[in-house]
Amino acid sequence: MSKVSELYHTGLIGGQPAPDDLAIQAKISHTEEGFATVWLITPAAIWLILFLVVPLVSIVIFSFWENSPQGLSPAFSLEFYGEYFYTKGFFDPDADRFLLPSVFIRTLGSTVYFTLVTMLLCLIVGYPIAYFLAMQVQAFKWQLALFLLCMVPFWTSYLIRAVAWLPMLGRRGLINQALLGLGIVDEPVSFLFYSEFGYTMALVQIYVVLGIGPMFFSLAKIDKDILEAATDMGATPFQIFREIIGPMSLPGVAIGMIFIFVMIMGEFATAVVVYGGKTSTAGTVILNYYGIANYPFAAVNALMLMLAMVIGIVVILRVVDIRKEL
Amino acid sequence: MTAKNGNKKSTGALLKISRRKFMGTAAGIAAAGGITGFPNIVQAADPIRSIGLGVSIINEIQGKAAKDLGFPVRGQALGYGALFGKTLNQNDQYEVSECYFDMFDVMVPSKVFQPIDTTRIRDWDKVSNLTKTGKLTPGSQIGQGDAPFHKLWVDENGAPTKGPSRYISAVPGWHNADSLGYNPKETKRSIDSWAELFSSDFKGRVALLNVPQIGAMDAAMGVEALGLIKFGDKGDMTRKEIDVLVDFLTKKKKEGHFRAFWETFGQSVNLMVSGEVVLQSMWSPAVTAVNAEGVPCIYASPKEGMRGWHGALAISAKASGKQLDQAYEYVNWWLDGWAGAFVARQGYYMSTTANTKKSLPADEWDFWYEGKPAAKELPDPFGTPLVAKGAVRDGGSYEQRFKNIAVWNSIMSENDYLVKRWTEFLTA
Repeated sequence: MSKVSELYHTGLIGGQPAPDDLAIQAKISHTEEGFATVWLITPAAIWLILFLVVPLVSIVIFSFWENSPQGLSPAFSLEFYGEYFYTKGFFDPDADRFLLPSVFIRTLGSTVYFTLVTMLLCLIVGYPIAYFLAMQVQAFKWQLALFLLCMVPFWTSYLIRAVAWLPMLGRRGLINQALLGLGIVDEPVSFLFYSEFGYTMALVQIYVVLGIGPMFFSLAKIDKDILEAATDMGATPFQIFREIIGPMSLPGVAIGMIFIFVMIMGEFATAVVVYGGKTSTAGTVILNYYGIANYPFAAVNALMLMLAMVIGIVVILRVVDIRKEL
Repeated sequence: MTAKNGNKKSTGALLKISRRKFMGTAAGIAAAGGITGFPNIVQAADPIRSIGLGVSIINEIQGKAAKDLGFPVRGQALGYGALFGKTLNQNDQYEVSECYFDMFDVMVPSKVFQPIDTTRIRDWDKVSNLTKTGKLTPGSQIGQGDAPFHKLWVDENGAPTKGPSRYISAVPGWHNADSLGYNPKETKRSIDSWAELFSSDFKGRVALLNVPQIGAMDAAMGVEALGLIKFGDKGDMTRKEIDVLVDFLTKKKKEGHFRAFWETFGQSVNLMVSGEVVLQSMWSPAVTAVNAEGVPCIYASPKEGMRGWHGALAISAKASGKQLDQAYEYVNWWLDGWAGAFVARQGYYMSTTANTKKSLPADEWDFWYEGKPAAKELPDPFGTPLVAKGAVRDGGSYEQRFKNIAVWNSIMSENDYLVKRWTEFLTA
């Protein structure tokens, strides 16, 4: 899309000449009447400074404080950063913890692992749905109706969606009842719920819609004429997907994946409700240390989680240059 | 620990007042950081602020106190962690903290409270010996960990003293003892030891409390009952003891012994009601809630004893003048009987048992404190029927429970190490 041809726009009415530079300049420098930019961004800026920047800065400051049994005291201490990274016996070849990362890094690692698995599954499940909505469903009203149908789970609270798995997957749940009834098993299977399987499935169900939305919009934006042209030129459906649809829907995929990535990295409630608390996420560690009023260490954990998120987003944006693609 | 903090009353009251008045009131509420709003919040009297868990901060309780005392009491219900943090780091934000003796290893040395003069506590002589000497009855055992009586006595400067003194760190309040809950239909035998928590008969059907400080003690009771290790003090374990405990738990977890780990009252009820779990560490009111759902559940009285916990009313070091007087009045009001009767209907006991007895109808006293069968259907604190006629409270009478406390809720010296190893156990 970066190459601008001589003809600015081609459509049913034929080629149109590109507007001259003067006209573009005039359009850019022209200020619409109404609120000045500064007023438009003020509410959001105040909100973000008060409730994002200030807390974030406090978290950074807190992470260097000292925490004694008598409470917090301001300091510049790297103690809790050391605690986060270093485990006793890490460099000792004889210790059973030789080269074993600290429990906090391992917890962050398992959080990343579950996040990546869920993202992959969300892509596998979500992309075809978005593709179907955008490409197969012709009428706009049906597209909208079906897309809203995807949103139905969001009509109820997050926790109810998570809890609702119990009657489905639990020992006395629907699936177990069916398995028992059909004589496939003699006693209820327990791997469905309070398990890695159930946890991953619940995460996919809860977050896949966040991916479907952006993927659907970027797929729907693709000009059908291009696809038709490709077909006319003899391209196979696979070639069309590889050369046109795939690349053009990448920004949507990237945005969807960023949404899912950020949400699941911060997850802790689903692990409790659906996995029965049998794993720790980076979020639960923060909560645990908050719970014993060790705010500096909770802050260190929060910052490391944020760092991991930023790295993840940068990686995704490296793979897909959203600004270029949009 | 149920929290029924419905704000129906306050909403109704707000709707009736004019918009201007509403804005003023709302600003006041916002300024106090409180979520309550009793009808008399618009009164001119200076309010006092009290923070606590949902166990003791219930609109009905602080509302009744305000009505009886003639000044507003703004209660703020928090989670355990938030209560701990606010009590420790923001003692200018409350006059009274309805906290717990297991927090006192941290709170007393940091001087966030002021010593309470027992001569200003009207019913001080009626407060039971459980917290004064550590023994409810002469034959009782004190129990390991942060037994309240170790934390109670202080001098006029708030420094701990060995024995009785005119001053105390906080006024003893509501308390209870926790143990195991089980479904007798599924376990097919009665459970009378903490060791059963790790019995392979219940593999994959067991849950444990996932609050490291308390969950570790429950697990330690089981490991000790199995004879694997003898703890010096289960309420103050050494690093080595924590390692042995966590290594054992990790092994069990990898074998698939645990079905789940629960964190809240409601989760423990769900685990039992849905049949996912047949045996778990449990709080006594949760057992009542499971039974109310029609699922059989028994509250075990393990021969090794139960794990006790004790609430207390502490006054902030920052309270002074009229507010200090009002804080004393509020604390005195708690001991008076009405509040004791209210929490009794949730299954908790009160330090001034004689006053509670006066405020409770005989049928209810017999059921909740004496462990006798309910003579008729009995209500919960909000008037809803809770206990069926003929039902018996598990765990026996108040005296039976509290003369055999094995360990009290505690925060160990090695708390940070425990939390770290616990995280490792969960990640394993």
